[in-house]
Amino acid sequence: MPEVRSEDSVVRYYCTAGNGMEPFLVDEVKRKLAAQDVDHIPGKVLFSSSETIHRVCDLKAAERLFLLLKQDSPVRLSTHTSPGTTKAASVLQSRLLGDRTQMTWEKTLLWEAWRMVRMHRFVRSQLQSDDFWVMRNKPYLLFFSPVSFRINCKCSGKLHRCISAQEVSRVMGMGLSRLLGWKADLKNPKLEINVYLNDDYCLLGIPLTRLLLPLANRSYLKTPGLRSTVAWAMASLALIEAACFLGVDIDDGQLQKADENVLFAELQSRVHLLKASSTALPLPSASVDAVVCDLPFGRKFSTRINMAENLPVILSEMERVLRVGGTLVVLLSPQLSCLLKKLLLQTNCGPKRNEEAESQTGMKSCLVSSSEQHNLQVTSSSSQEASTFSSLRHQATLRVSLGVIDGLIHKYIKTLD
Amino acid sequence: MKLLTHNMLTSHVKGVTKGYPLLIKATEVKVNEVDFNPKFVCRMIPKLEWSALVQAADQLGHREDLPGELVPDYEKNEDFLKKVHRVLLEVEVIEGCLQCPESGREFPISRGIPNMLVNEDEA
Repeated sequence: MPEVRSEDSVVRYYCTAGNGMEPFLVDEVKRKLAAQDVDHIPGKVLFSSSETIHRVCDLKAAERLFLLLKQDSPVRLSTHTSPGTTKAASVLQSRLLGDRTQMTWEKTLLWEAWRMVRMHRFVRSQLQSDDFWVMRNKPYLLFFSPVSFRINCKCSGKLHRCISAQEVSRVMGMGLSRLLGWKADLKNPKLEINVYLNDDYCLLGIPLTRLLLPLANRSYLKTPGLRSTVAWAMASLALIEAACFLGVDIDDGQLQKADENVLFAELQSRVHLLKASSTALPLPSASVDAVVCDLPFGRKFSTRINMAENLPVILSEMERVLRVGGTLVVLLSPQLSCLLKKLLLQTNCGPKRNEEAESQTGMKSCLVSSSEQHNLQVTSSSSQEASTFSSLRHQATLRVSLGVIDGLIHKYIKTLD
Repeated sequence: MKLLTHNMLTSHVKGVTKGYPLLIKATEVKVNEVDFNPKFVCRMIPKLEWSALVQAADQLGHREDLPGELVPDYEKNEDFLKKVHRVLLEVEVIEGCLQCPESGREFPISRGIPNMLVNEDEA
């Protein structure tokens, strides 16, 4: 079914993003979707786009996607207003719903829900399967059939002390029922409306990825490893475009899963695998355009050797194989990040080091590793440690959430001196 | 292991100064059909060590009519690009080993993945 594009097809969305991912998402919506009115608040990015829903769902830095119904200043109840009173209900309803004449998002909501259903090849609607028949054969019935809904409210800050999320949901539910004739259904609603209320903003939206998996789930990945949004952020920092990748790992199990993923995604011609140690890379010096590495934290993936001990050697090897002008992007635990800073401070005081003049192949490639180190207990001399990394120039450090813990992404560019 | 990968690998055994290119001893070779992308091949060619590629293809018995020298104006020569594409991306060593040309150290290839690990005293 060909997609319908009308003149006024600009849609207002917001996405959720993991901590630290907001700048990546802002950049992505601007670059990929030519988004306008881009605004970000902690954990969320709001934007307008006229791109097809398929393109919007292709965002890589986002967790979940919502249709934006309303963004506004915070809802405030005076401290004297008691929860459960008609005054509180009145304030909430007037702020969140408005009256029937003011309400512009009703039409938007229904129109966009209709468009989403028509795009159901890309985005699954929350309507029931029996409604699909109505959509295809008698689409005009959409606007007259009773809409079942539920409110999903998150409430924090001062408002939370005055009124609970459940109370807000109840009040809004009653309001929508009265205003639109909609029917509340907590178990199996046709539409879900998310409400976020805190001291900084009030936000209403419809999740577009509810039945489908979140945007952060990748259809081409059989076995996910590193959080997909963070992995994408690292690759985007490395400015990787069309390239040939060399995936290096020391662990057979990790390589097996990587192999399955490569086959599943049909990327055999672009991603090649190698069993090797990051402390001894079997590559000529200055032969790689970018190195992207997620060093084990020792939490989810265990390691028998001390990562802190090997960090200087690992970084030295990465620096060696990088060409001048090449990019290193590495994800480290907070502890290893501190160690990295110390190493680099040490380096700046140490003697300079000469780079090899030419590479043997100069292959344009990207070294991708999520290695676990089992074999080598290499000890380096302190003079060697002091003299290395002098050619790595720091570009950025970004803290991102990995769920339970945080990680820090470090970007470096290799220079001549 | 595709020959594109092989073209990148070098021996890092301790004391070795001429560890490139690695010799290929294959016991199982596969040729898979891969979609031809002329732009990708063009982008890869300047980054290749041409003589190493020719030698590797020869060792596997899959050189066929790949020229010994890089063809001028290869960007416009689709026939040539297809030959390079086949050798680089379609020929694959599934089982066998790579050998350091200087030290003779062997690195096994298993299920298409080379194992380039060396012992502590070797690196």
